[in-house]
Amino acid sequence: MKVDSSYWKKLWILFFTFAKIAALVVGGGYAILPVVEETFAKKYKWLTSDELLDMMGLVQTIPGIIACNSAVYIGMKIAGIGGVLAAAFGVCLPSVVIILIIAAFFPHLNPSDPWLLGAFTGVRACITGLIILTALRMAGKVLKGWFAILIALGVFALVMAGISPVYAVLGAMPLGIVYACWKRAADKRIREAGGIQK
Amino acid sequence: MNIFTLSFLFMRFGCVSFGGGYVLVPLIIAELIEKRGLLTLSQFGNLISIAQVTPGPVGINTATYVGYLHSGVSGGILASIGLIIPSLVIGTLAVTFINRWKDSIAVKGVMQGVRPAALGLLFFAVFQFLGMSVFTTPIPWKNIFQTLTGAGSGIPADFRLSIGGLVICCVSILLMWKTKISTTLLIILSAVAGALICR
Repeated sequence: MKVDSSYWKKLWILFFTFAKIAALVVGGGYAILPVVEETFAKKYKWLTSDELLDMMGLVQTIPGIIACNSAVYIGMKIAGIGGVLAAAFGVCLPSVVIILIIAAFFPHLNPSDPWLLGAFTGVRACITGLIILTALRMAGKVLKGWFAILIALGVFALVMAGISPVYAVLGAMPLGIVYACWKRAADKRIREAGGIQK
Repeated sequence: MNIFTLSFLFMRFGCVSFGGGYVLVPLIIAELIEKRGLLTLSQFGNLISIAQVTPGPVGINTATYVGYLHSGVSGGILASIGLIIPSLVIGTLAVTFINRWKDSIAVKGVMQGVRPAALGLLFFAVFQFLGMSVFTTPIPWKNIFQTLTGAGSGIPADFRLSIGGLVICCVSILLMWKTKISTTLLIILSAVAGALICR
């Protein structure tokens, strides 16, 4: 297998971006989306917004840490198995190092220090803003047609009512297949009905 | 219990933690505290608060900490590796499968369902994050609903608007929308601003 320098550069960017996300972002799975979108979709254009949404849905339905699942998805899409390992290593390294340092040197660290809590509230507030922006941008791209609007509202309502996101996403999958089959049949009918005029 | 058994145990947790790292909490309480007595509940409480305020995925933070308490640095590293191995295997297989059959009606249909579903989850996440930043506690939907229908006991007193959080959130949206500021810089600035005004 021929491995050129652009491949290693991709691995480095994957590792570095996910390490940056893990080192800076407080608040779990969804919080990484704005940074992932900025880096991989806008800056390098290696992924589309549609692919990011696919990722968001899939990482919920397979087991494991959401941030790590996202790293695996993006790593695999961009650079195959090597990309998976680079991105996953990037996600884990900062957390492992930070926690080991805290556990080894500050066993009595007070997690209720007001300065520390203030800083983390600040980061969460910033991430809230970024997620709102990302959600609105994605809504503009995804909510085309009644089916998408119905599914988005339905999943939102179910999860708000306490249903696990896993079941909500799993439930949307067969509905998507039914819709796709129905759409294909409907399109075919339209084509056949007005085939010659087109 | 040796260090590889611990790693293997976390591998099992990784296989069943649907929906992310928070699911680890009940698993660890059941398996490591009640069944095996590896750590005490108060140690675990301390651990969770540290794992939540330090950056990085909560699941990996938790695994590293439990592993470290059990057998030092190598324990911390092996527990984390154990936790992510199922993700690596299942995630890689899922992406391979989707890429191979991406033109089939089944995969296309699944994706047509998954995309709006993911958007619904994202809007849910917005409200969860609002409850952790712009408001002081998670939004008490039940109480709000009851108050609107006139049956409730009112809105809890500790649910308040955090002015500092609201300002940082709005300024972040404006900066991200109108300028080319990088998210890294924005997050660091927000941490500083938060330490100053969100105390």
